Amino acid sequence: MDYLIKADNVSLRVPMLIPADRQLLSNPLRFISDLYLGRSSRGVSDLLQGVSLTLKPGQRIGLIGQNGAGKSTLLKLLAGIYAPTTGSLEVNGVVKGLFDISLGMNPEATGLENIYIRGLQMGLSLGEMRDRVPQILEFSELQTVIEKPLNTFSTGMRLRLAVALSTMVIPEILLLDEWIGTGDLGFRDKVRAKMLSVVDGAKGMMLATHNVELMKSLCDECLVIHQGSVVFAGDLDIGLKFYEEEIHERASAKSLLCEAEQS
Amino acid sequence: MNSLSSLMYMAYFDFAVKYRKTMIGPVWVLMGPTLFILTLGLLFGEVSNAQAEVFIPHLAIGLIVWTLVSGFVSGSTTVFQRHRAQILQGGMTLIDIVVVDVLKIGLLFMHQVLIVVAVMIYFQIEWSVYSWVSLFGLLILVVNGVWLTLFFGMIGSRYRDLTEVVAAVMRIAFLATPIIWLPEERSSDGVVGLFLSFNPFFHFLDIVRAPLLGDTISAVSWTVVVALSLCGALITVAFYRRLRYRVPLWV
Repeated sequence: MDYLIKADNVSLRVPMLIPADRQLLSNPLRFISDLYLGRSSRGVSDLLQGVSLTLKPGQRIGLIGQNGAGKSTLLKLLAGIYAPTTGSLEVNGVVKGLFDISLGMNPEATGLENIYIRGLQMGLSLGEMRDRVPQILEFSELQTVIEKPLNTFSTGMRLRLAVALSTMVIPEILLLDEWIGTGDLGFRDKVRAKMLSVVDGAKGMMLATHNVELMKSLCDECLVIHQGSVVFAGDLDIGLKFYEEEIHERASAKSLLCEAEQS
Repeated sequence: MNSLSSLMYMAYFDFAVKYRKTMIGPVWVLMGPTLFILTLGLLFGEVSNAQAEVFIPHLAIGLIVWTLVSGFVSGSTTVFQRHRAQILQGGMTLIDIVVVDVLKIGLLFMHQVLIVVAVMIYFQIEWSVYSWVSLFGLLILVVNGVWLTLFFGMIGSRYRDLTEVVAAVMRIAFLATPIIWLPEERSSDGVVGLFLSFNPFFHFLDIVRAPLLGDTISAVSWTVVVALSLCGALITVAFYRRLRYRVPLWV
Protein backbone atom coordinates (compact mmCIF):
# COMPACT_ATOMS: atom_id res chain seq x y z
CA MET A 1 0.00 0.00 0.00
CA ASP A 2 1.82 3.06 -1.13
CA TYR A 3 -1.08 5.43 -0.76
CA LEU A 4 -3.88 6.08 1.70
CA ILE A 5 -6.31 7.72 -0.68
CA LYS A 6 -6.26 7.59 -4.43
CA ALA A 7 -8.94 9.40 -6.37
CA ASP A 8 -8.89 9.17 -10.11
CA ASN A 9 -10.95 11.58 -12.19
CA VAL A 10 -13.70 11.71 -9.61
CA SER A 11 -16.86 13.68 -10.33
CA LEU A 12 -19.90 14.28 -8.19
CA ARG A 13 -22.99 15.32 -10.04
CA VAL A 14 -26.24 15.73 -8.16
CA PRO A 15 -29.77 16.31 -9.36
CA MET A 16 -31.13 19.55 -8.00
CA LEU A 17 -34.45 21.26 -7.85
CA ILE A 18 -34.22 24.81 -8.96
CA PRO A 19 -37.20 26.82 -7.75
CA ALA A 20 -38.78 28.97 -10.42
CA ASP A 21 -37.95 32.63 -10.31
CA ARG A 22 -40.10 33.90 -7.51
CA GLN A 23 -39.97 37.57 -8.31
CA LEU A 24 -40.56 38.42 -4.70
CA LEU A 25 -39.01 41.77 -5.37
CA SER A 26 -41.77 42.83 -7.71
CA ASN A 27 -44.60 41.38 -5.67
CA PRO A 28 -44.11 39.78 -2.25
CA LEU A 29 -47.43 37.91 -2.58
CA ARG A 30 -46.04 35.90 -5.47
CA PHE A 31 -44.82 33.28 -3.04
CA ILE A 32 -48.42 32.26 -2.37
CA SER A 33 -49.06 31.33 -5.97
CA ASP A 34 -45.66 29.63 -6.08
CA LEU A 35 -46.60 27.50 -3.11
CA TYR A 36 -49.40 25.82 -5.05
CA LEU A 37 -48.06 26.06 -8.57
CA GLY A 38 -44.42 25.56 -7.51
CA ARG A 39 -42.89 25.53 -10.94
CA SER A 40 -39.49 24.26 -10.08
CA SER A 41 -37.27 22.89 -12.76
CA ARG A 42 -34.95 19.95 -12.45
CA GLY A 43 -31.35 20.36 -13.22
CA VAL A 44 -28.03 18.81 -12.47
CA SER A 45 -25.29 20.44 -10.56
CA ASP A 46 -21.65 19.44 -10.83
CA LEU A 47 -20.24 19.69 -7.36
CA LEU A 48 -16.93 18.13 -8.30
CA GLN A 49 -15.45 17.62 -11.74
CA GLY A 50 -12.56 15.36 -12.64
CA VAL A 51 -10.78 15.51 -9.33
CA SER A 52 -7.65 13.37 -9.09
CA LEU A 53 -5.51 13.21 -6.01
CA THR A 54 -3.37 10.87 -3.96
CA LEU A 55 -2.67 11.02 -0.27
CA LYS A 56 0.45 9.08 0.68
CA PRO A 57 1.44 8.06 4.20
CA GLY A 58 2.96 10.99 6.03
CA GLN A 59 1.47 13.51 3.66
CA ARG A 60 -0.54 16.48 4.87
CA ILE A 61 -2.48 18.24 2.18
CA GLY A 62 -4.14 21.59 2.55
CA LEU A 63 -7.26 22.40 0.56
CA ILE A 64 -7.47 25.96 -0.69
CA GLY A 65 -10.46 27.52 -2.35
CA GLN A 66 -13.18 30.08 -2.06
CA ASN A 67 -16.42 29.49 -0.21
CA GLY A 68 -18.49 27.04 -2.19
CA ALA A 69 -15.56 25.82 -4.26
CA GLY A 70 -16.18 22.22 -3.19
CA LYS A 71 -13.69 21.72 -0.35
CA SER A 72 -16.19 20.35 2.15
CA THR A 73 -17.89 18.28 -0.53
CA LEU A 74 -14.58 16.72 -1.49
CA LEU A 75 -13.81 15.89 2.13
CA LYS A 76 -17.23 14.32 2.62
CA LEU A 77 -16.72 12.30 -0.54
CA LEU A 78 -13.35 11.06 0.72
CA ALA A 79 -14.96 10.20 4.06
CA GLY A 80 -17.37 7.92 2.23
CA ILE A 81 -20.50 9.95 2.93
CA TYR A 82 -21.01 10.74 -0.74
CA ALA A 83 -20.00 8.39 -3.53
CA PRO A 84 -18.45 9.59 -6.77
CA THR A 85 -20.80 9.68 -9.77
CA THR A 86 -17.94 8.80 -12.10
CA GLY A 87 -14.30 8.03 -11.54
CA SER A 88 -12.70 5.74 -9.02
CA LEU A 89 -11.89 6.26 -5.39
CA GLU A 90 -9.71 3.94 -3.33
CA VAL A 91 -9.21 4.38 0.36
CA ASN A 92 -6.80 2.29 2.43
CA GLY A 93 -7.35 2.83 6.10
CA VAL A 94 -9.82 4.12 8.62
CA VAL A 95 -11.01 7.57 7.60
CA LYS A 96 -12.48 10.02 10.00
CA GLY A 97 -13.76 13.41 9.08
CA LEU A 98 -14.44 16.08 11.66
CA PHE A 99 -17.44 17.87 10.21
CA ASP A 100 -19.89 19.93 12.28
CA ILE A 101 -18.68 18.28 15.44
CA SER A 102 -21.20 19.89 17.76
CA LEU A 103 -24.22 18.60 15.85
CA GLY A 104 -26.07 15.44 16.71
CA MET A 105 -26.07 15.61 20.48
CA ASN A 106 -29.22 15.03 22.46
CA PRO A 107 -29.98 18.20 24.45
CA GLU A 108 -32.27 16.38 26.89
CA ALA A 109 -29.68 13.76 27.80
CA THR A 110 -26.96 14.47 30.33
CA GLY A 111 -23.41 15.20 29.30
CA LEU A 112 -22.35 11.73 30.34
CA GLU A 113 -25.13 10.09 28.35
CA ASN A 114 -24.13 12.13 25.35
CA ILE A 115 -20.58 10.85 25.72
CA TYR A 116 -21.87 7.28 25.52
CA ILE A 117 -24.34 7.98 22.71
CA ARG A 118 -21.71 9.68 20.62
CA GLY A 119 -19.17 6.98 21.29
CA LEU A 120 -21.63 4.28 20.23
CA GLN A 121 -22.40 6.26 17.09
CA MET A 122 -18.70 6.36 16.32
CA GLY A 123 -18.61 2.57 16.45
CA LEU A 124 -17.09 2.04 19.90
CA SER A 125 -18.59 -0.47 22.29
CA LEU A 126 -20.03 0.46 25.66
CA GLY A 127 -17.01 -1.07 27.41
CA GLU A 128 -14.53 0.86 25.30
CA MET A 129 -16.43 4.03 26.05
CA ARG A 130 -16.41 3.37 29.78
CA ASP A 131 -12.62 3.27 29.67
CA ARG A 132 -12.47 6.52 27.79
CA VAL A 133 -14.84 8.55 29.96
CA PRO A 134 -12.25 9.63 32.60
CA GLN A 135 -9.94 10.84 29.85
CA ILE A 136 -12.77 12.80 28.18
CA LEU A 137 -13.82 14.34 31.47
CA GLU A 138 -10.30 15.32 32.32
CA PHE A 139 -9.74 16.94 28.96
CA SER A 140 -13.03 18.81 28.83
CA GLU A 141 -12.86 19.85 32.51
CA LEU A 142 -16.57 19.23 32.86
CA GLN A 143 -16.46 16.83 35.84
CA THR A 144 -18.76 18.99 37.95
CA VAL A 145 -21.56 19.40 35.41
CA ILE A 146 -21.42 16.17 33.46
CA GLU A 147 -24.49 14.70 35.18
CA LYS A 148 -26.64 17.65 34.12
CA PRO A 149 -28.67 17.78 30.91
CA LEU A 150 -26.79 19.10 27.92
CA ASN A 151 -29.22 21.98 27.40
CA THR A 152 -28.02 23.50 30.67
CA PHE A 153 -24.45 23.67 29.33
CA SER A 154 -23.08 26.94 28.03
CA THR A 155 -22.04 27.13 24.38
CA GLY A 156 -18.40 26.95 25.38
CA MET A 157 -18.93 23.90 27.56
CA ARG A 158 -20.80 22.14 24.79
CA LEU A 159 -17.96 22.83 22.39
CA ARG A 160 -15.43 21.47 24.85
CA LEU A 161 -17.39 18.26 25.09
CA ALA A 162 -17.66 18.06 21.31
CA VAL A 163 -13.92 18.56 20.91
CA ALA A 164 -13.11 15.98 23.58
CA LEU A 165 -15.42 13.47 21.92
CA SER A 166 -14.31 13.95 18.36
CA THR A 167 -10.62 13.75 19.20
CA MET A 168 -10.78 10.67 21.40
CA VAL A 169 -10.06 8.32 18.52
CA ILE A 170 -7.03 8.92 16.36
CA PRO A 171 -7.85 7.78 12.83
CA GLU A 172 -5.43 6.67 10.18
CA ILE A 173 -6.66 9.28 7.76
CA LEU A 174 -7.85 12.55 9.22
CA LEU A 175 -10.06 14.89 7.25
CA LEU A 176 -10.53 18.31 8.78
CA ASP A 177 -13.09 20.79 7.59
CA GLU A 178 -11.79 23.91 9.28
CA TRP A 179 -9.41 23.67 12.17
CA ILE A 180 -11.01 23.21 15.56
CA GLY A 181 -9.91 25.97 17.86
CA THR A 182 -12.22 27.21 20.51
CA GLY A 183 -12.88 28.20 24.07
CA ASP A 184 -11.42 30.60 26.54
CA LEU A 185 -7.71 31.34 26.53
CA GLY A 186 -6.62 28.48 28.77
CA PHE A 187 -8.67 25.92 26.92
CA ARG A 188 -7.58 27.12 23.51
CA ASP A 189 -4.02 25.99 24.13
CA LYS A 190 -5.24 22.66 25.35
CA VAL A 191 -7.36 22.17 22.23
CA ARG A 192 -4.45 23.16 20.06
CA ALA A 193 -2.15 20.66 21.73
CA LYS A 194 -4.81 17.96 21.45
CA MET A 195 -5.50 18.67 17.81
CA LEU A 196 -1.78 18.61 17.01
CA SER A 197 -1.45 15.25 18.73
CA VAL A 198 -4.32 13.88 16.66
CA VAL A 199 -2.74 15.24 13.51
CA ASP A 200 0.61 13.71 14.48
CA GLY A 201 -1.00 10.39 15.26
CA ALA A 202 -2.76 10.15 11.92
CA LYS A 203 -0.92 8.66 8.99
CA GLY A 204 -2.24 11.26 6.60
CA MET A 205 -4.31 14.38 6.80
CA MET A 206 -6.27 16.72 4.62
CA LEU A 207 -7.20 20.11 5.97
CA ALA A 208 -9.51 22.70 4.51
CA THR A 209 -9.07 26.10 6.09
CA HIS A 210 -8.87 29.75 5.22
CA ASN A 211 -6.21 30.29 7.86
CA VAL A 212 -3.03 30.59 5.78
CA GLU A 213 -0.63 30.67 8.72
CA LEU A 214 -2.09 27.50 10.14
CA MET A 215 -1.93 25.74 6.82
CA LYS A 216 1.69 26.74 6.41
CA SER A 217 2.55 25.34 9.81
CA LEU A 218 0.77 22.01 9.27
CA CYS A 219 0.75 21.14 5.59
CA ASP A 220 3.46 20.60 3.08
CA GLU A 221 1.38 20.29 -0.06
CA CYS A 222 -1.84 21.74 -1.28
CA LEU A 223 -4.70 21.42 -3.71
CA VAL A 224 -6.32 24.55 -5.04
CA ILE A 225 -9.98 23.95 -5.82
CA HIS A 226 -12.02 26.24 -7.97
CA GLN A 227 -15.62 25.60 -8.95
CA GLY A 228 -15.37 21.91 -8.26
CA SER A 229 -12.13 21.18 -10.08
CA VAL A 230 -8.56 20.94 -8.91
CA VAL A 231 -6.72 23.78 -10.63
CA PHE A 232 -3.40 23.32 -8.87
CA ALA A 233 -1.74 20.51 -6.99
CA GLY A 234 1.70 20.60 -5.49
CA ASP A 235 3.92 22.65 -3.25
CA LEU A 236 2.09 24.69 -0.63
CA ASP A 237 3.83 28.03 -1.12
CA ILE A 238 3.44 27.97 -4.87
CA GLY A 239 -0.19 26.91 -4.44
CA LEU A 240 -0.96 29.74 -2.07
CA LYS A 241 0.66 32.20 -4.44
CA PHE A 242 -1.28 30.74 -7.36
CA TYR A 243 -4.50 31.06 -5.42
CA GLU A 244 -3.79 34.65 -4.45
CA GLU A 245 -2.90 35.73 -7.95
CA GLU A 246 -5.14 33.69 -10.18
CA ILE A 247 -8.36 33.08 -8.32
CA HIS A 248 -8.61 35.57 -5.54
CA GLU A 249 -7.54 38.54 -7.64
CA ARG A 250 -9.64 37.52 -10.57
CA ALA A 251 -12.69 37.15 -8.35
CA SER A 252 -12.19 40.57 -6.83
CA ALA A 253 -11.53 42.03 -10.26
CA LYS A 254 -14.77 40.50 -11.44
CA SER A 255 -16.76 41.96 -8.56
CA LEU A 256 -15.17 45.34 -9.23
CA LEU A 257 -16.21 45.02 -12.84
CA CYS A 258 -19.78 44.21 -11.82
CA GLU A 259 -19.91 47.20 -9.55
CA ALA A 260 -18.61 49.38 -12.35
CA GLU A 261 -21.24 48.05 -14.72
CA GLN A 262 -24.02 48.64 -12.25
CA SER A 263 -23.06 52.21 -11.52
CA MET B 1 -21.94 -1.25 10.52
CA ASN B 2 -22.13 -1.00 14.26
CA SER B 3 -22.77 -4.07 16.38
CA LEU B 4 -26.33 -4.92 17.28
CA SER B 5 -25.69 -4.42 20.98
CA SER B 6 -24.45 -0.87 20.32
CA LEU B 7 -27.58 -0.15 18.31
CA MET B 8 -29.72 -1.52 21.14
CA TYR B 9 -28.03 0.76 23.64
CA MET B 10 -28.62 3.72 21.33
CA ALA B 11 -32.31 2.91 21.05
CA TYR B 12 -32.52 2.44 24.81
CA PHE B 13 -30.81 5.77 25.51
CA ASP B 14 -33.18 7.57 23.16
CA PHE B 15 -36.18 5.89 24.70
CA ALA B 16 -35.09 6.57 28.28
CA VAL B 17 -34.25 10.21 27.64
CA LYS B 18 -37.58 10.85 25.95
CA TYR B 19 -39.54 10.21 29.14
CA ARG B 20 -36.98 11.81 31.44
CA LYS B 21 -38.98 14.90 32.26
CA THR B 22 -42.33 13.15 32.65
CA MET B 23 -43.53 12.18 36.10
CA ILE B 24 -44.42 8.55 35.54
CA GLY B 25 -42.24 7.93 32.53
CA PRO B 26 -43.06 5.21 30.01
CA VAL B 27 -46.25 4.34 31.92
CA TRP B 28 -47.81 6.95 29.65
CA VAL B 29 -47.52 4.59 26.71
CA LEU B 30 -49.89 2.28 28.59
CA MET B 31 -52.45 4.94 29.49
CA GLY B 32 -53.54 5.88 25.98
CA PRO B 33 -54.29 2.37 24.68
CA THR B 34 -55.85 1.32 28.01
CA LEU B 35 -58.32 4.20 27.93
CA PHE B 36 -59.05 3.50 24.27
CA ILE B 37 -59.72 -0.18 24.86
CA LEU B 38 -61.86 0.39 27.96
CA THR B 39 -63.99 3.11 26.42
CA LEU B 40 -64.48 1.42 23.08
CA GLY B 41 -64.94 -1.99 24.66
CA LEU B 42 -67.73 -0.74 26.92
CA LEU B 43 -69.33 1.40 24.23
CA PHE B 44 -69.38 -1.31 21.58
CA GLY B 45 -70.57 -3.81 24.14
CA GLU B 46 -73.67 -1.65 24.45
CA VAL B 47 -74.35 -0.74 20.83
CA SER B 48 -73.50 -4.01 19.11
CA ASN B 49 -74.28 -7.58 19.97
CA ALA B 50 -70.63 -8.56 20.16
CA GLN B 51 -69.68 -10.29 23.37
CA ALA B 52 -67.07 -8.54 25.51
CA GLU B 53 -64.91 -11.66 25.82
CA VAL B 54 -64.68 -11.84 22.03
CA PHE B 55 -64.50 -8.17 21.18
CA ILE B 56 -62.15 -6.79 23.83
CA PRO B 57 -59.23 -9.23 23.24
CA HIS B 58 -59.71 -8.69 19.51
CA LEU B 59 -59.59 -4.93 20.04
CA ALA B 60 -56.68 -4.96 22.49
CA ILE B 61 -54.35 -7.15 20.44
CA GLY B 62 -55.38 -5.36 17.26
CA LEU B 63 -54.73 -1.92 18.67
CA ILE B 64 -51.34 -2.75 20.18
CA VAL B 65 -50.10 -4.48 17.03
CA TRP B 66 -51.47 -1.59 15.00
CA THR B 67 -49.47 0.86 17.12
CA LEU B 68 -46.34 -1.09 16.24
CA VAL B 69 -47.14 -1.23 12.53
CA SER B 70 -48.19 2.39 12.24
CA GLY B 71 -45.13 3.38 14.29
CA PHE B 72 -42.94 1.78 11.62
CA VAL B 73 -44.84 3.28 8.72
CA SER B 74 -45.32 6.79 10.10
CA GLY B 75 -41.79 7.10 11.45
CA SER B 76 -40.19 5.72 8.30
CA THR B 77 -40.68 8.72 6.03
CA THR B 78 -38.71 11.10 8.24
CA VAL B 79 -36.14 8.70 9.68
CA PHE B 80 -33.18 10.13 7.76
CA GLN B 81 -34.18 13.76 8.20
CA ARG B 82 -34.28 13.19 11.94
CA HIS B 83 -30.77 11.74 11.88
CA ARG B 84 -29.20 14.26 9.53
CA ALA B 85 -26.28 14.94 11.86
CA GLN B 86 -25.39 11.25 12.20
CA ILE B 87 -25.51 10.78 8.43
CA LEU B 88 -23.34 13.80 7.62
CA GLN B 89 -20.75 13.00 10.25
CA GLY B 90 -20.23 9.45 9.05
CA GLY B 91 -19.92 6.72 11.65
CA MET B 92 -23.43 5.35 11.21
CA THR B 93 -24.70 3.75 8.04
CA LEU B 94 -28.28 4.23 6.89
CA ILE B 95 -29.05 0.67 8.01
CA ASP B 96 -27.72 1.41 11.51
CA ILE B 97 -30.02 4.40 11.75
CA VAL B 98 -32.98 2.38 10.54
CA VAL B 99 -32.34 -0.45 13.00
CA VAL B 100 -32.12 2.00 15.92
CA ASP B 101 -35.44 3.52 14.92
CA VAL B 102 -37.09 0.11 14.58
CA LEU B 103 -35.71 -0.99 17.95
CA LYS B 104 -37.04 2.19 19.55
CA ILE B 105 -40.53 1.48 18.28
CA GLY B 106 -40.06 -2.12 19.43
CA LEU B 107 -39.27 -0.91 22.95
CA LEU B 108 -42.51 1.04 22.99
CA PHE B 109 -44.33 -2.08 21.84
CA MET B 110 -42.74 -4.22 24.53
CA HIS B 111 -44.24 -1.93 27.13
CA GLN B 112 -47.66 -2.05 25.51
CA VAL B 113 -47.62 -5.84 25.33
CA LEU B 114 -48.40 -5.70 29.06
CA ILE B 115 -51.90 -4.55 28.11
CA VAL B 116 -52.36 -7.60 25.90
CA VAL B 117 -51.10 -9.85 28.69
CA ALA B 118 -53.51 -8.24 31.15
CA VAL B 119 -56.46 -8.65 28.78
CA MET B 120 -55.57 -12.27 28.07
CA ILE B 121 -55.34 -13.06 31.77
CA TYR B 122 -58.59 -11.27 32.52
CA PHE B 123 -60.51 -13.12 29.82
CA GLN B 124 -58.67 -16.37 30.60
CA ILE B 125 -57.39 -16.91 27.09
CA GLU B 126 -55.10 -19.88 27.22
CA TRP B 127 -51.62 -20.00 25.76
CA SER B 128 -51.47 -23.01 23.48
CA VAL B 129 -48.79 -24.47 21.27
CA TYR B 130 -50.41 -22.70 18.33
CA SER B 131 -50.02 -19.36 20.12
CA TRP B 132 -46.27 -19.47 19.52
CA VAL B 133 -47.00 -18.79 15.86
CA SER B 134 -47.89 -15.30 17.02
CA LEU B 135 -44.29 -14.63 18.08
CA PHE B 136 -43.11 -15.85 14.69
CA GLY B 137 -45.61 -13.46 13.11
CA LEU B 138 -44.23 -10.67 15.25
CA LEU B 139 -40.72 -11.45 14.07
CA ILE B 140 -41.90 -11.21 10.46
CA LEU B 141 -43.53 -7.88 11.29
CA VAL B 142 -40.32 -6.44 12.75
CA VAL B 143 -38.21 -7.65 9.83
CA ASN B 144 -40.69 -5.97 7.50
CA GLY B 145 -40.38 -2.85 9.63
CA VAL B 146 -36.67 -2.73 8.79
CA TRP B 147 -36.98 -2.80 5.01
CA LEU B 148 -40.05 -0.58 5.08
CA THR B 149 -38.29 2.07 7.17
CA LEU B 150 -35.24 1.94 4.93
CA PHE B 151 -37.31 2.12 1.75
CA PHE B 152 -39.72 4.86 2.81
CA GLY B 153 -36.88 6.68 4.52
CA MET B 154 -34.91 6.91 1.29
CA ILE B 155 -37.90 7.91 -0.82
CA GLY B 156 -39.19 10.24 1.90
CA SER B 157 -35.91 12.09 2.17
CA ARG B 158 -36.20 13.00 -1.50
CA TYR B 159 -39.98 13.47 -1.78
CA ARG B 160 -41.24 15.05 1.40
CA ASP B 161 -44.78 14.54 0.07
CA LEU B 162 -44.56 10.95 1.26
CA THR B 163 -45.07 11.98 4.88
CA GLU B 164 -48.42 13.54 4.01
CA VAL B 165 -49.48 10.57 1.89
CA VAL B 166 -48.59 8.10 4.61
CA ALA B 167 -50.45 10.08 7.27
CA ALA B 168 -53.59 10.12 5.13
CA VAL B 169 -53.35 6.43 4.23
CA MET B 170 -52.70 5.29 7.78
CA ARG B 171 -55.78 7.07 9.08
CA ILE B 172 -58.00 5.27 6.58
CA ALA B 173 -56.16 1.98 7.01
CA PHE B 174 -56.88 2.03 10.74
CA LEU B 175 -60.61 2.11 10.03
CA ALA B 176 -60.43 -0.32 7.12
CA THR B 177 -58.59 -2.92 9.17
CA PRO B 178 -60.68 -5.02 11.57
CA ILE B 179 -59.45 -3.51 14.83
CA ILE B 180 -62.43 -1.60 16.16
CA TRP B 181 -64.86 -3.88 14.32
CA LEU B 182 -65.23 -7.62 13.99
CA PRO B 183 -65.27 -9.23 10.57
CA GLU B 184 -68.35 -11.43 10.37
CA GLU B 185 -68.51 -14.98 9.10
CA ARG B 186 -70.09 -14.02 5.82
CA SER B 187 -67.72 -11.11 5.23
CA SER B 188 -65.23 -13.18 3.25
CA ASP B 189 -67.14 -12.15 0.17
CA GLY B 190 -68.81 -8.88 -0.73
CA VAL B 191 -67.45 -5.43 -0.10
CA VAL B 192 -65.98 -6.22 3.31
CA GLY B 193 -64.21 -9.23 1.84
CA LEU B 194 -62.54 -7.03 -0.73
CA PHE B 195 -61.53 -4.62 2.01
CA LEU B 196 -59.83 -7.44 3.85
CA SER B 197 -58.20 -9.19 0.90
CA PHE B 198 -56.64 -6.06 -0.52
CA ASN B 199 -55.60 -4.65 2.82
CA PRO B 200 -52.01 -5.74 3.55
CA PHE B 201 -52.32 -4.45 7.09
CA PHE B 202 -55.06 -6.98 7.77
CA HIS B 203 -52.85 -9.90 6.73
CA PHE B 204 -49.89 -8.72 8.79
CA LEU B 205 -52.14 -8.12 11.77
CA ASP B 206 -53.79 -11.50 11.36
CA ILE B 207 -50.58 -13.54 11.55
CA VAL B 208 -49.96 -12.05 15.00
CA ARG B 209 -53.51 -11.87 16.33
CA ALA B 210 -55.20 -15.01 15.04
CA PRO B 211 -52.87 -17.50 16.83
CA LEU B 212 -53.47 -15.79 20.16
CA LEU B 213 -57.24 -15.93 19.75
CA GLY B 214 -57.16 -19.48 18.45
CA ASP B 215 -58.40 -18.50 15.00
CA THR B 216 -56.91 -19.99 11.88
CA ILE B 217 -54.77 -17.90 9.56
CA SER B 218 -55.99 -18.13 5.98
CA ALA B 219 -53.67 -19.27 3.24
CA VAL B 220 -54.29 -15.92 1.54
CA SER B 221 -52.81 -14.10 4.54
CA TRP B 222 -49.66 -16.23 4.53
CA THR B 223 -49.26 -15.78 0.79
CA VAL B 224 -49.67 -12.03 0.97
CA VAL B 225 -47.29 -11.72 3.93
CA VAL B 226 -44.57 -13.87 2.39
CA ALA B 227 -44.92 -12.24 -1.03
CA LEU B 228 -44.87 -8.71 0.35
CA SER B 229 -41.93 -9.46 2.64
CA LEU B 230 -39.84 -10.92 -0.16
CA CYS B 231 -40.76 -8.34 -2.79
CA GLY B 232 -40.35 -5.47 -0.35
CA ALA B 233 -36.97 -6.67 0.83
CA LEU B 234 -35.71 -7.24 -2.71
CA ILE B 235 -36.93 -3.88 -3.99
CA THR B 236 -35.40 -2.17 -0.98
CA VAL B 237 -32.03 -3.83 -1.58
CA ALA B 238 -32.14 -2.67 -5.22
CA PHE B 239 -33.06 0.87 -4.21
CA TYR B 240 -30.51 0.90 -1.41
CA ARG B 241 -27.72 0.08 -3.87
CA ARG B 242 -28.74 2.99 -6.04
CA LEU B 243 -29.76 5.57 -3.49
CA ARG B 244 -27.61 5.08 -0.39
CA TYR B 245 -25.15 7.79 -1.41
CA ARG B 246 -27.90 10.11 -2.58
CA VAL B 247 -29.62 10.27 0.80
CA PRO B 248 -26.87 12.41 2.41
CA LEU B 249 -27.45 14.95 -0.36
CA TRP B 250 -31.19 15.02 0.25
CA VAL B 251 -31.47 15.25 4.02
